[in-house]
Amino acid sequence: MIKNREAFAVVRMALIGILLWSSSICAQNDIARNLFADYKSAILQIRIIDLTSGSKSTIGSGFPVDNSGLIATNYHVIQLAATKPQQYRIEYLTETNKVGELRLVDVDVINDLALVQAVDFDGESMQLANREPEIGMPVYALGNPLDLGLTVVPGTYNGINRASYHPRVHFTGSLNPGMSGGPTMDREGRVVGINVATAGNQISFLVPVRRLQALVSDYRARGAAIENMQQRIGEQLMADQQQKFTALFARNWQGIGLGEAQVLDELAPFVKCWGGSNSSDEKAQFLSADRSCRSEDNIYMTSNFATGILEYQFIWLEADQLNSWQFYNYYERLFGDFAPGNRAGEEDVTDFQCDHGFTQKPSGRQSKSVFCLRAYKDYPKLYDVLFLQGSVDDKERALISHFTLAGVSQENALTFTGKFMEVSQWQ
Amino acid sequence: MAVIIEVLGWGGKRRKYFKVDADQVSIGRGYDNDIVLSDPHISANHLRLNACGEGWSITDLDSLNGLQVIKNPSTDERIFTSGAEIKLGRTKLRLVSESHPLEDTKMLHRLERDTSKLNRLSVWLPLLVMVFVTQLTSVYTSTLAEWEWKNTIPVIISAQLVIFIGAIFWSLVGRLVRQEAHFLGQYSLILLASLLFTGCGWLLSTLSYNFSSVLFGDMAQQLVSMSILFLLLSANLALATNLSSRARWSGCAAFVGVILIIGSIGQMKSWDEFSPFPQYSSTLSAPPLLVVKGQTTEQFLADIVPLFQLADKAALEK
Repeated sequence: MIKNREAFAVVRMALIGILLWSSSICAQNDIARNLFADYKSAILQIRIIDLTSGSKSTIGSGFPVDNSGLIATNYHVIQLAATKPQQYRIEYLTETNKVGELRLVDVDVINDLALVQAVDFDGESMQLANREPEIGMPVYALGNPLDLGLTVVPGTYNGINRASYHPRVHFTGSLNPGMSGGPTMDREGRVVGINVATAGNQISFLVPVRRLQALVSDYRARGAAIENMQQRIGEQLMADQQQKFTALFARNWQGIGLGEAQVLDELAPFVKCWGGSNSSDEKAQFLSADRSCRSEDNIYMTSNFATGILEYQFIWLEADQLNSWQFYNYYERLFGDFAPGNRAGEEDVTDFQCDHGFTQKPSGRQSKSVFCLRAYKDYPKLYDVLFLQGSVDDKERALISHFTLAGVSQENALTFTGKFMEVSQWQ
Repeated sequence: MAVIIEVLGWGGKRRKYFKVDADQVSIGRGYDNDIVLSDPHISANHLRLNACGEGWSITDLDSLNGLQVIKNPSTDERIFTSGAEIKLGRTKLRLVSESHPLEDTKMLHRLERDTSKLNRLSVWLPLLVMVFVTQLTSVYTSTLAEWEWKNTIPVIISAQLVIFIGAIFWSLVGRLVRQEAHFLGQYSLILLASLLFTGCGWLLSTLSYNFSSVLFGDMAQQLVSMSILFLLLSANLALATNLSSRARWSGCAAFVGVILIIGSIGQMKSWDEFSPFPQYSSTLSAPPLLVVKGQTTEQFLADIVPLFQLADKAALEK
């Protein structure tokens, strides 16, 4: 009997659990349904129209931030119209199929945000949240995935991601192409972030709403649309790299062992390092251990051009069973195989210009150093820099050091190179 | 007056000649002629020559294919003087008198006079061994993995085979043109050039590794290999043919020029082509080959500053 009663209790508990769980799902669905019903008229499809063909080239989402028809979206949604205004125009499409013209008024290329102005817009505006939600709170992303019509995606707010210099909200939910620029709201319908990117498997990223607030107040304070978008973007890139490198130079550059050498450790919390070696490979004729560090900052410029990355890498080599000549052949092949970590096309950058020479540390260690750079064609005084150094005075051991900086000024590139060469040591 | 009738071959070269000491000479396919030719397009009794002052007059004996005058130094078109060329059927003939001027006697090429020195086993064998050793060294120092004979032998054998075929080719040319093969001489020449090529390549790459100057760059390497090819070809030709030195030099220069042009056409595609990858010097040689001392970090940083201006200029050109 007792056993039976216990079994009953278990069943009862389970039933209550299922009921509670389903009611919470119901509650979630209710919120999603209500938010959808309340805000569907405020979510716009943003379309970039090619003037020659008259058809849409890109779509994204956007939402009004005030009653005057000021609309927020992603920079990457309207990028074609920003860089080639003579070839593209922007329009919006409401949920009731009303079409209207949009004018680009300001951008924040660093945080992938843009403001566009509608001329006669009479829809509702959305409220921006003043406070960051707590981690674990349910939030709801809205947008037009793949041109399928307005969609709501429930998910979880997971706080500001620290793996990049530019803060992004980690949203556990599925964002899809076309939802970019749409809002993610809390239960009360306040915007907590702007949909921007996905890493697949329910991992998505939002631009924190603070960045949008800053851009909106900046625009209101100026009171006028930006005339020269290219110059504006160039200034933002220049200021951002200045801020980032000033912060990096102020930090303590710590070394960490790799083989017999000291190499640069994680420079900042947003720089993540990974490593490996071939020591478990029984057939290996030589020993190789490497350490690669990078920050996941990719500032979107065009579909073929990204900037803002910082990466560095070290490889420690030991000849082991190879003789000195064979070892140097292998080493040379490895040394010739470095490329920058960011995409860029002929329209965006010049060809790389390179210089190389032998350098000697006070300890006597000789290295071959290679310095390559390419200039940005549209944004003067910004460069992609690739540095490569390999020791050349030991018959059986070698250290390769490499870094790439994308979108950096001459001064910061030189300072970084100097500090990098100083910290990465092999006595 | 004696007349010499030369039958001309390809390129106006004499194939054979007939000397007839008579005032009247008959030419044809028939056996009753003074000069009997086998060309089926020549009639049995084709023509007759008659001595006439300083030259000869020609009478066509009603031949089927007639007579074609190619060249006649005489001012009177009925009279053919020494050096005249005619064509009967498909056969070209030159009429020459005994006093016809000759070209100067050619001096033997230095190489040919010394050919007995070159065309010897005692020269060829050491050269062969040296080439073999350099090839072995070069394969050995360029391997990335464990040394294995089975990977090495095919490489060396195929390189030796190429040299051997080159020597065979030139000795065949020599045999055909001059009835002299000089096989070992040709072989030694190619071996010598291959040694020179390897040596210069090593020297230049070591220099360019130490001193990053255009003087030792790719252009210099190409120039050196083309010069070696030029020297080798002209030596091969001197041994195998009777060409005058001028013809030989210009022929070799033309050949090397064509190779250079073909090479440049191949590279033309990549001219001015954008690349997202840096093109940098990645050469790293084992420490014994490094002779220069490195600069300090500060000097290096100062040296790269002009790169920024260079890139700025390139960006403005768009």
